[in-house]
Order: sequence, then structure tokens, then C-alpha cells
Amino acid sequence: MKNRSVTLTLILVVAILALMPFSVIRADGHCEFADEAIKIGGLVPLSAPGSVGGGVAMSWAFNRAVDDINADCGVQIGDQNYRLQIVIGDSEGSPERGQAVVERFILEDEVHAVSGVYHSAVGLATMGILDENGVPTVFSEPWNDNVSANGIMEYDGRPPRNADGVDHIFRISPASSMVGSVVVDWLLAEGVEDIVIIAENTDYGQPAAADELARFEAAGATVTQINVELGTEDFVPILSRIQARESAPDVVRILVTGETSFNLTQQMAELGIAPTEDTICVTNQFAFQSEQYWENVPDGNYCTFNRVGIIPSLFSDIAIGLNEAYFEEFEDIIPSFAMASYDALHIIADGMERAGTMSDGAAIVEAIESTDLDLSQGRYYFEYGNHNPDLPEGTPAFMWHQWPDPVVTMMQYFEPGQSSLDAAVIFPEVYQTHGTGYMAPGESP
Amino acid sequence: MALFKRIESAIDGSIGRRRLGYALLGLVILFFLWFPNDTSQSNYVKTVFISGFFYAILSSSWALLAGIAGQFSFGHMAFMGIGAYVAGLFARDGITFAALGIALTPESISSVGAIVIGTIVAGAVGLVIGWLLLRLRSAYLALFTIAFSELFRIAMLTEYDYTGGSNGLSLRPLLQVADVDTARQIEYYLMFALLIVCLLLMYRVAHSPIGMFLRAMREDEDAASALGVNVVRYKILIFVFTSMIVGLAGAIFYSDIGSERIIPEQLEVLQMSLIIAYAVIGGMESLLGAAAGAFISRYLLEAMREVVITLPLGLTLPDGSDAFVWETGAWRFALFGLVMVFTLRYMRNGLLYPILDWFSGRDLIMQETVSIRKSDDDVAADMEDSG
Repeated sequence: MKNRSVTLTLILVVAILALMPFSVIRADGHCEFADEAIKIGGLVPLSAPGSVGGGVAMSWAFNRAVDDINADCGVQIGDQNYRLQIVIGDSEGSPERGQAVVERFILEDEVHAVSGVYHSAVGLATMGILDENGVPTVFSEPWNDNVSANGIMEYDGRPPRNADGVDHIFRISPASSMVGSVVVDWLLAEGVEDIVIIAENTDYGQPAAADELARFEAAGATVTQINVELGTEDFVPILSRIQARESAPDVVRILVTGETSFNLTQQMAELGIAPTEDTICVTNQFAFQSEQYWENVPDGNYCTFNRVGIIPSLFSDIAIGLNEAYFEEFEDIIPSFAMASYDALHIIADGMERAGTMSDGAAIVEAIESTDLDLSQGRYYFEYGNHNPDLPEGTPAFMWHQWPDPVVTMMQYFEPGQSSLDAAVIFPEVYQTHGTGYMAPGESP
Repeated sequence: MALFKRIESAIDGSIGRRRLGYALLGLVILFFLWFPNDTSQSNYVKTVFISGFFYAILSSSWALLAGIAGQFSFGHMAFMGIGAYVAGLFARDGITFAALGIALTPESISSVGAIVIGTIVAGAVGLVIGWLLLRLRSAYLALFTIAFSELFRIAMLTEYDYTGGSNGLSLRPLLQVADVDTARQIEYYLMFALLIVCLLLMYRVAHSPIGMFLRAMREDEDAASALGVNVVRYKILIFVFTSMIVGLAGAIFYSDIGSERIIPEQLEVLQMSLIIAYAVIGGMESLLGAAAGAFISRYLLEAMREVVITLPLGLTLPDGSDAFVWETGAWRFALFGLVMVFTLRYMRNGLLYPILDWFSGRDLIMQETVSIRKSDDDVAADMEDSG
């Protein structure tokens, strides 16, 4: 009798152990979903005049996030698992089209939340409609300060969104002012006093130059600003003006985008203006695309550049997996707005799970305000919202419903042909990868 | 074909094509008047219609300028932008005429006042441009207006302190209605009324002696001038007139009727080429055709954002869904381009022009003229034979 019990117990244990892997597989691969799906509207530019490349990368990230979340049994609300579904809408980079698409999201597609937006103009035009309709929204790329500041401040005659007690708009991309301060802070820490800014004559170059100029001058530095037209190929006349100075400047800061920035940087290096022992070269973030950079700027070793988005050496496992998948698809390093779009969907899904609802906008907003999640770009949280409504004096209004830690860094190449994955992060100090704040030509870490 | 001929004869022998055309047009107008009251339609569809009305104004006014007057201008979107930007800047900053001791503060300028100022300034710029264009024709005129349009766009883009740069300029809302549904209904009727008024005004010009002078200038400017047409006056007049129409449309549309802000990208040559494409597809020489072409194209471009193909015979995709969804993105513009190529190759007067032409009964007049000529020729031939 005893032997039989032992035998039966053993058989039972073996059977349980044998079936365990299958039960795990069943949970992972065969989730039971509710009939209804949670719909998220992804607002991205997919045709001109919008930035199509940006929209394609963001769409890819949304689909990747949906696949990952659904593979993990979707969003659990109560005792039900809901499949996540992304509805992509093409804003065309136009406020008018963006508004129409958001209306379609709300009224036709009946989405439960919205994410995306590449162009600030689209974000500014759609945030009011989204808030009025109670749609929880996490913007993943617009930079304009007012996108988040309008939560608690009047903007363009429109009252603060939070005036009714709920602001449905969050942002995890950096505000413009957050980006602008990093370059200046670093250069001032390096002790520069004489700065030349070469800025393109566009709405990117001019405001950025004005912002940096004001910061430098406030610190007592001398700034000379030279404006150039986008598309110029021969910069020698402009650069000759810098060469003709009595003393070389401490730094030449380039606020020019795309191919033009490559031309300018190469010609500046060829003429021996910067980078030199006396003059720091600060080119723009396009230099992060190292293959293009070295092809066009073969003499650009020791140039520095700013980078928005987490640095490769700090990539988490999530970021590494995401970057590999992105590289497989596009043969390029993943841009920050694709990572942010991926993360935004996880933030929304997490908020819905914790709020226990997919349709109560106010409850989801309350849950998102208390987000504490580690995702591809780092740890996400929102310092200021209705959970902590009083911004201390001196804290800018754009910190409202704003992820406070988007990574903005200064990087530097120190070997010709170096991949940006291996370039040194030199500022802020907390992110330094080679223990140095700057390497003059000829130095190594 | 025989059936069509029989129906055609029946119509010609009873109500007549023209009357039938007017009756159908009346039905279309009644449909648009009734549409916002259809409770099954969401505000989104009304938004698409509002946008359609706006582009119908732009396209039909360009048809008047280029199709009827022969002034192939690429500056149309710039004039629309002038109306919108000026209205926005005046309402925001006001204006001071120091020499006259007049200061208009933003508080003293109403939304309507700002729109009127925007319209007048668009017309004034149209006057200057029209005067500068007097000696330019065909390709030179097109190049000049492209340059003007780009100049204005770049100015709006780079003067970000005043215009907001690529973040755009927010205009003062024209309406202050709290209820969204009521607001959208009013916006719909406002834009539709504007389209009707603009079309009537343009129709009046196109079918007046001025319209004949404009057509004469289009066919041969020198010959028209030799026959006493004041080419200078009418060239400037049509520029001012169409500039004011698009300036007014832009100022109203961007006063939170169709969109709450205007951006410089809206003034790009690409956007202008869409206006031209709508007019070409609808019919460049017909105001109604161009307007209908723009409205239908806008609607279809919106409807084609997402193409859903339901699988037959209960088939399903690997993810379990029974329909294939194609997010068309920029591809819908490629399909639109194909329609444009087809139109230019096979139906140069536009896809809608043959229909409108049939209703107008012009082919009957033409047949009548040809038969009269033929009979005159026969009589002359008989006289020759007998003589």
C-alpha cells in the first residue's frame, strides 16, 4: 500500500515536472485575449511636407512595441488580457492634416490613447483636441517647450490644459531648452571665452544660435555669429573671415544641418581652423551617423558633436535588442525618436494596467503620472503633474508632464573612421565613457 | 451607346440638358446643406468636407487665373498665406501708423477685422505682383511666381520671432462656440457659404465681358491688345481679384475653422502643385469642374489613407483577421499622380469637363453651327455648279 502511494506520488511529480514546460509555453505563446482590442493612435509623418524618414522609423517602433507587448499577453485589465493594436495616421507634417487625423482617431477609429508626433507644429495643433476629448497621449518627438508648458501655462490665447484638473498630454522627448543648454554648459566648463557660431538661416539654426548666444553672453563670453544659407557648398569666403582674425577663437560651433554641415566641417578642418590645439570644433548631431560623417568629413577627427538620445555605451538589454532589430531593417543605428516611440507605447500600456481601465482617461493619466518603468531609453517617471503640482521657483513650466531625463550628451571622435558606437562621451560628466571632458588633437583617452 | 443616344434624345426633347444640369446642381447643393444634419456622420467627416471646400476655392480661383485668363501662376498658395499670416499677425500684434497718429491695438481688432485686413493686403500684394508680371509670359511668369512664393515661404520660416517659424502661427479663432458639435456645424456652413459666394463671384467675372477679354488675352495677348482690350488693366485686375479670394479663404480657414495654425510648409511648391493637379483633373477651364475636382480629390485622398480589403470565402490572415489593411501613406499620392498622367494624356480638359460640357449643351450648338456651315457650303457649291 505504502509502495503504491510512493509510486503514485512519484508518477504525479514526474508528470507535473514533465508538463511544466508546456504550461509555460501555453502562457507565453497562446495568451487568451479578450475580443475587444486596445487601440492606440500613432500620429507620424508618412508623406511630404513631413519628415517621412522620421515617420517610417516611428511606425516601425510602434509596431515593434505592439508585437512585444502582445507576445507578453497584451495589456491585463482586471482578469482579461487585451491585445494592443496600433492605428497609424499620416500627419503629413501639417497641423491641418494632423488635426484631421486626430479627429479620425477619436471619432472613427475610437482609439483609447495616442502617441507619436514628429513635428512640433503638429503637436501644438493637436494637443488641445486630444486633451478636450480626454485621450491620454504620450508625445515621443516634438521639442517645442510649449507642448508640455501649456499644461499649466496659457499658450497662444489658449488656457492651461490642466485648468479642468486633468491634463492628458505627456512628453518623453526633450524640450528645446533642455537640448540647448548642454553644449553651452560643456563649453563654459571647458573655459571657452571667445566663440564663433556659424548658423544656418532657418528656423532651426537661428533660434538655436540666439539661445546659445544669450547663454554665452550671460556667462560673460564673447560671441561672433555668422549666418549661412542651407545648401551652400563653398564656405571658404566665410571661413577666411575667421582665419583673418587676430587670434583664433576658442571654439567654432556649427549650427547647420545635413550635407551642408558635413561640407562646412570638412572645409573648416582642411583650412586648419578647427579642430586645432587652440580651437574646439563643435559640429552638429548629424555627425552621429558615422559612416556618412567619415565619408564626407575625412579630416574631421577630434570634432565634437551633441547627441540626443541614450548613448550606445549605456544601452540596456532592451535598447540593444531594439537597436539590433532596427539595424536589421534599416542598416543604421536606431534614432532616439524610434526608441521614444517604442517606450511611449509601453508607458501607455503600463498606465492602463495600473489604472485597471482602457477607457477612463482621467484614471489612466493619474496612473501615467506615477510611472516608474525601465525601458529602452532609461527609467521613465514624471516629476511634475497633479501628483506633484507645485513646480519650485526657477523650474521651467515645460517640466510639467515632461520626462525629466532625456539623455543629451556631447561626444567626440578620437580616431579617424571611428564608429559613433565607440566615440567618447565627454559631457555630462556622469555619462563620460573615457574619463575625459575633451581631447585636444593628438591626445588619446 | 445606342441606349445612351436614346436617353440623350429623350432628355433633349423634354427637360433639356441645361435644365437637368441645374436640377442636379441644385440637388448637390441640397445634399451639402443637409449633410451636417445627418447624425450618423461624425465631426471628422465634416472636417474632411470643410477642407474640401477650402481647396475647392483655391483650385477654382486658380482655374480662373490660369485656365481662363491664361496667367500660369505658381504664387497662389503664397497669396493664401499672405491672407492668413497678415490676419494672424494683425490680430496678435496690432499696427501703428505713426505718421497718421493711428494705433490699432490687438484688442481693438476683431477676428473679422483681421480677416478683412488680411484679404486687403493679399489683394494689394496681388496688385504689385500683377504689375510686375505685365511683361512676363508663359515660363517666365511661372518662374517669377515660383520665386515670389519661395521668397514669402522662406521669410515666414526664418522670421520665427514674428511668425513662429516651422512651429506655425496660430490665428485668433473666428468663432467662440463652446459646444464642439455646434461649432463644427457652423464651421461647415461658413466654409460652404464662402465656396458658393466665391464661385458665384468668379462665375460672374468669367461670364461677363471681362471674362471674354480674359479669354481673348489667353488665346493671343497681342491680338487682344490690337482689338482694343486693355491688357494691362485686366491682367492686374485678375491678379488682384484671385489674390483677394484666396487671401480671404486662407484667413478664414486658418482662423480655427479648418485648422488652428498655418505653417510655412503649407506654402511649398509641392502644395501649389496639388492645387494645380486638382484643377487639371477637374477641368482647368471650368470653375465648377476645378472646384469639384478639388473636393473629390481631397475626399478620396483622405478616404484612401487606409485601404481595407476584406478576404472572400471566409479566408483569414495568419494573425486571425479577415481583412487586409493597407496603410497607403505616400502611395495614395502616387495613385493620384497616375490619375493626373491619365488625365493629361487622354482627357486634357479634365475628367469632369466632358460631363459638365454635356450638361451645358455646347456640343448641340456646335453641331448646329457645323450643320449650318455645311448647308451654306452646299448652297455655295450648288451655286458654283449652276454658275
